[in-house]
Amino acid sequence: MKKTERKAETFEASDTFSRCHPMLNFFYFAVVLIFTMFSQHPLILAVSYAGAVSYGILLNGAGKTLRQSCFFTLPALLIVALLNPMFNHYGVTMLYYIESSGNWVTLEALIYGVVLGTVMFVVIQWFSCYNQVMTSDKFVYLFGRIIPALSLVLSMALRFVPEFLHQLKVIRNGQKGMGRDVSEGNLFRRIRYGLNILSILITWALENAIETSDSMKSRGYGLPERTAFSIYRFTNRDKILGTVMAFLSMIFTVGIAKGAAYASYNPRILLAGFTIQGRTSPVSAGSLLTAATYLCYGLFCFLPVILELTEQIHLKNSRKHAGADIGMTYRRIYEELEQEG
Amino acid sequence: MNIVEICDFCFAYPDSSKRVLDHTKLKIKEGTLNIICGRSGCGKSTLLRHLKSALAPYGKTQGEILYKGKSLAETDHRTQSQEIGFVMQDPDNQIVTDKVWHELAFGLESLGYDSETIRLRVAEMASYFGIHQWFYKNVSELSGGQKQLLNLAAVMAMHPSLLILDEPTSQLDPIAASDFLETVKKINRDIGTTVILTEHRLQEILPYADQVYVMADGRIQMQGTPGEVGAGLHDADKGMFLSMPVPVQIFSAVEGTGECPLTVSQGRKWLGEYVKDHPQIPTDIKKTKAASGLTEPAIQAKDLWFRYEKDSQDVVRDLSLQINKGEFYALVGGNGTGKSTTLSLLSRVNQPYRGRIRLYGRDLRSYKDKELYFGCLGVLPQNPQSIFLKKTVLEDLYSVIGGKKERMSLEYQSQMKKEKAIEGMVSLTKLEGLLERHPYDLSGGEQQRLALAKVLLLRPKILLMDEPTKGMDGEYKEELGKILKKLQSHGMTIFMISHDIEFVAEYADRVGLFFEGNIVTENDVNSFFAGNNFYTTAANRMARQYFPYAITGKDVVACLQNGN
Repeated sequence: MKKTERKAETFEASDTFSRCHPMLNFFYFAVVLIFTMFSQHPLILAVSYAGAVSYGILLNGAGKTLRQSCFFTLPALLIVALLNPMFNHYGVTMLYYIESSGNWVTLEALIYGVVLGTVMFVVIQWFSCYNQVMTSDKFVYLFGRIIPALSLVLSMALRFVPEFLHQLKVIRNGQKGMGRDVSEGNLFRRIRYGLNILSILITWALENAIETSDSMKSRGYGLPERTAFSIYRFTNRDKILGTVMAFLSMIFTVGIAKGAAYASYNPRILLAGFTIQGRTSPVSAGSLLTAATYLCYGLFCFLPVILELTEQIHLKNSRKHAGADIGMTYRRIYEELEQEG
Repeated sequence: MNIVEICDFCFAYPDSSKRVLDHTKLKIKEGTLNIICGRSGCGKSTLLRHLKSALAPYGKTQGEILYKGKSLAETDHRTQSQEIGFVMQDPDNQIVTDKVWHELAFGLESLGYDSETIRLRVAEMASYFGIHQWFYKNVSELSGGQKQLLNLAAVMAMHPSLLILDEPTSQLDPIAASDFLETVKKINRDIGTTVILTEHRLQEILPYADQVYVMADGRIQMQGTPGEVGAGLHDADKGMFLSMPVPVQIFSAVEGTGECPLTVSQGRKWLGEYVKDHPQIPTDIKKTKAASGLTEPAIQAKDLWFRYEKDSQDVVRDLSLQINKGEFYALVGGNGTGKSTTLSLLSRVNQPYRGRIRLYGRDLRSYKDKELYFGCLGVLPQNPQSIFLKKTVLEDLYSVIGGKKERMSLEYQSQMKKEKAIEGMVSLTKLEGLLERHPYDLSGGEQQRLALAKVLLLRPKILLMDEPTKGMDGEYKEELGKILKKLQSHGMTIFMISHDIEFVAEYADRVGLFFEGNIVTENDVNSFFAGNNFYTTAANRMARQYFPYAITGKDVVACLQNGN
């Protein structure tokens, strides 16, 4: 009972962006993930990382997010960063000669390894947010838009699996009560008891499925022109937010296409906006467009956090106002009463 | 206007000459609440299923069913889906999707409504049925009562004009059942939906019915208002009689005169007058059952504590319990108070994290599985289907004792021939004639008896049962009760948890009331129910003014007949 209460609570306590339309959620994560995965410019990655971590802290709490980064993703980053120079030997800046294989460890390969590791790190960070925001019903809804029949199948599967597990437990306990538990006796006996349990489970599930199909038929399943209902509504706020998101992503897409985030690590490190070893990137987007690109990308990455913070401020203000308004009204009423009296 | 007319309808399953429905005639008026009753297997479920073509069983039919004056066969699938709602027995199996809101919308999606209409209907249903608090939940988180209410709401969302319910409360606990039936009454009263209902628990709903039909052998045997049917029960068959509300049973048994009482309060009034008219009835009757006097313990549990997960709440808290040898002990109490968990502790399916259970003086943990489950403890699970393994009843029985081969095995350590043992068990549990059937084709009561037979073949000395009377009608209950009494007379110790206080009052020796992981009070069955004001049987509530220790209908009848 307590578990269900907690679940209901988390639904209520989800952040502002999660409460927006699933299509916006999906669009947001698709854009952020694509740009993180295919851009290798350290600034873009840094901005993306900051956005992902702050959103992660908002969703999962600071402790869990940082713990996950330090103990799980950071070691993985280091492994990738170190593995790359071991196997790739391009680049012009030699650092160390490995005698056994006769290869050079190069600065370019080392840096590229770090960049690749960071990409992975940031993507994982975004995915941990994705998992919190894109719940099963949003997923079912989105795919239902594409293939209506699939959404019902997914929904039924999501119903079936917990049911199946529950029945398995009931059956196992029943067999245990008859001295036929899979943890008892020799191997042969255990296998037989296990198969018995499986056989009972399947018979039972099939028998129950007949009733489920009766229930579907009796509620008109199979009639032509079936529609797919969802509880999600595309509100006005969703429209505004969608426009803003489209606008922002358009600007930084153009900027990046023009070379605002040009990055190359082979054979030399060339980064847009930086002069490394006396060389600059071959393409550049102009300072205004570059600035706009980074600003828009930053805004986009921090969008959920910005939304949440503004909503919190609004909520606080509205509460204050509500108190003030009522106070004023009562005072006025009392004053009026006094005058009359 | 008649919404349904069944004209001389006959039905037989293929390859069977026996007609399940035999020239059934029935007319249902629009807007009425109708109850069809009859013993298990009388054909009432088959009849209900024929009222909806999508659910009608396959077989030979004859005669016609009219829906709103038009033949049902000619009424298309869309109209039938929309206008005829059908709620079945099992709350779980009818649910199709994973979310409550999606389940509510399922029928409307099938009918092709647009999102706006569905949103309105779903909102309307959720508000009317009080579902809005758990609207976003996964269906797996709901209780049985909530699931069944959801099934009802999902059907009502299509705005049917005829609602058919096939034993909808048989899997629910009494409180959930009476809530559900209350909702059905409300739908009939407020919205005017015609309701056809079959039910074991007639006590709750019978007084509110417009028409009651009694079915026997595929025919409508009797019909009329509840009062008429109650009064005409003298000559009805016995199975039917046992399903009737207790006041009706008492009234019929003493051949009372005047109007037949249907509810407890009517019964109380009638009883008052009856006692006044018969002043020779002695009212100072003592207990009808003496305390058993058994004191030698079979199971002793001391200070048990149990929880399912490390950080969850304790389900069993400081429970101490003693069950004596040869005694029939029943544990009653509300849903989710930890009764089933207690049973799992006693049967060692789960182990308490504190406290100790002794079985015949020995620590339960020191038993080997072999010793414990083969020849000592028998556990009958709540759902008999969870232990059915083979294709026929006979094979299933043999599977328990290690197959047909005559050899000693782990499961079977008796000198008796297996055939003989099974024969004896079949006659004890009255499974004769069913041996070649598939276990799933048996009725609920028969399935329970088969499960019992399987458990008993392992020769337990103590029988633990989890709600053995769930979903059974009065007749099956009486049969089960008799079997249990017979076992008890041969020295079996029986422990049962149950919601069915009528059954407990009739057969148990000692009763404990379970609340919040603990036994609040326990006493011999007479004192227990006589001492409770709320948690007591209908018969006791009706008669306690005159006969405080009369707890079953039979007790009251015996008291009344004392004076004659």
